[in-house]
Amino acid sequence: MGTMLSLQKVTKIYPGAGHIKAVDELSFDLEEGEICTVVGPSGCGKTTAMKMINRLISITSGKIIIDGKDIARLNTIELRRSIGYVIQNIGLFPNMTIGENIAIIPKLLKWDKAKTDEKVLRLLEIVNLDPDEFRDRYPKELSGGQQQRIGVARAMAGDPPIMLMDEPFGAIDPINRAHLQNEFLKVQEKVKKTVIFVTHDIDEAIKMGDKICLLKDGHLVQFASPEQMLTHPKNDFVADFVGGDRTLKRLNLFTVKRAMKDNPPTIHQDETIETAQNVFMKTNTRYLIAVDSDGKLTGMIDKEKLNDETGKVKDLVSPTNAWLMAHASLKDGLSEIFSHEYGFLIVVDDNKKVLGWLHTQDIKETLKG
Amino acid sequence: MTTRILFHLIKRLVPVLLTICFIVWLYTFYGAWDYTIKNIAEFFKLIIEHFILVIISMFCAVIVGVTLGTIMTRKSMEKMSPVIMAVVNVWQSVPSLGVLALAYGFLPLIGLSGIGMVPALIALFFHAVAPIVRNTYAGIKSVSKDVIEAATGMGMTKKQILFQIELPNAMPVIAGGVRTSTAIIVGTAPLAFLIGGGGLGFWIFTGIALVDMGIMMAGAVPVALIAMLFDYCLGVSEKFLVSRGVRTDEIELA
Repeated sequence: MGTMLSLQKVTKIYPGAGHIKAVDELSFDLEEGEICTVVGPSGCGKTTAMKMINRLISITSGKIIIDGKDIARLNTIELRRSIGYVIQNIGLFPNMTIGENIAIIPKLLKWDKAKTDEKVLRLLEIVNLDPDEFRDRYPKELSGGQQQRIGVARAMAGDPPIMLMDEPFGAIDPINRAHLQNEFLKVQEKVKKTVIFVTHDIDEAIKMGDKICLLKDGHLVQFASPEQMLTHPKNDFVADFVGGDRTLKRLNLFTVKRAMKDNPPTIHQDETIETAQNVFMKTNTRYLIAVDSDGKLTGMIDKEKLNDETGKVKDLVSPTNAWLMAHASLKDGLSEIFSHEYGFLIVVDDNKKVLGWLHTQDIKETLKG
Repeated sequence: MTTRILFHLIKRLVPVLLTICFIVWLYTFYGAWDYTIKNIAEFFKLIIEHFILVIISMFCAVIVGVTLGTIMTRKSMEKMSPVIMAVVNVWQSVPSLGVLALAYGFLPLIGLSGIGMVPALIALFFHAVAPIVRNTYAGIKSVSKDVIEAATGMGMTKKQILFQIELPNAMPVIAGGVRTSTAIIVGTAPLAFLIGGGGLGFWIFTGIALVDMGIMMAGAVPVALIAMLFDYCLGVSEKFLVSRGVRTDEIELA
């Protein structure tokens, strides 16, 4: 993992307009496979900074190095073909089918048909759209969210090491936006692109970024990981921009799995109630988590509702929805804890197998670091 | 599904068939059929002249119109295009007969004959080129900026953007211009006879002058059928040229 993208004192001065520096000596390095969110108030130069990387906007002074090569020496067209580009308004080509849209860059790169078709198929699967259903449809027949998925797929089609994304989810409603963000992060785990992600939304910047580049009036104010920026904002502007609730925002940076405690008090649902009583004595808790023989969650039993009856645990189990997937954010975890009476939350994996449990105390400890 | 298609066909075919029946009835009623059979050699000469007038002027108008319209959208032409557009618009407002008269009067001034097929072709061409220029320009200009930005950012060259993105997306609008032009040319072509351009207008005007309905119908009916034929051909070619992704309902129904 080396430096993939390096900006060195990159400056943009637009002619006229009093020689205001739209971007002023911006420098930062990005490792291969990192997402860098570029964020700041409107007019801070974030889009200008991004567009200089694929030379849609010319650089006034400074250097941009991609994978060891100064982009000023590369052919503009070839440079752009090696960089994935996603814009806010998507810009799918209306005259082409979804399949043709995705195949644009492979075609420009003169891949053979079999390789291109294979790539289109794989990308549609990656962005969760059924290839047989969507390949031959036209952009106007898709919803905004679906269109932007195609926009992302199209940008990845030429296997670019770098992707530029200009407020890619900005025009999409909040529910779909969260969905697309999560999907993109999942895709990113597989493809490990180096991504410049421009946004004006600090929450999105925190959620999507491995690094955040915070700009103001063309200056770099702070370049740091989201965790660092939230715990150690460089100055009042950063503190203000990330918001007074920055401790709560940090909850988004951790998964439930990271904060949970292992070995929750569980009991097999086929055990007798007598055994359950013994376990209650030992663990000194009010609730036991009932599991089946695969370790999957079946429900909860309450000490107070136990009586002298003999029988199986199974008969007394009450179903519960006080559980979350291990990859959910701590923010969701905290919210779930407060919405149930148990005082804790069961953490499960994708198959609903019990992995651990989570208390507010665990969250506090995680935030302390 | 099949019943829907059948119903659709009936809806479209019935009015066409009724119109054709009416025209053919007029044709036979006034004895145009007999006149045509008697003068079959002249009929073929006139109809060939008529097709030459329409097809050549149409062909030139499309080539020149699309090219000029496209050039006007290029960045280097930004300042010139309003001027060209103004000229084109004024030109289009001149009535068909006026264009022919202008050709008749103007061409001798630059040393060309004002009479015959060439002046007629020139007049028809100039009259038909305007809507195509205008629609090509408007069509390309209306392609979304985002689409162009995405294409540029992805590394398409200017030429690739023009041929793969701009023109295909402007195609419904360009096709609309071509339809307008065809209507103008098909409608004006019979007048070409007035400046010696030949074509079926000869029989129409002769019929009018002699107050002979038969001769007039022998010219007018083929002219009407030719107009319908051209419109149909255009509709079919639009289906091939205009991508389903940018098709409007109007073309879908045509």
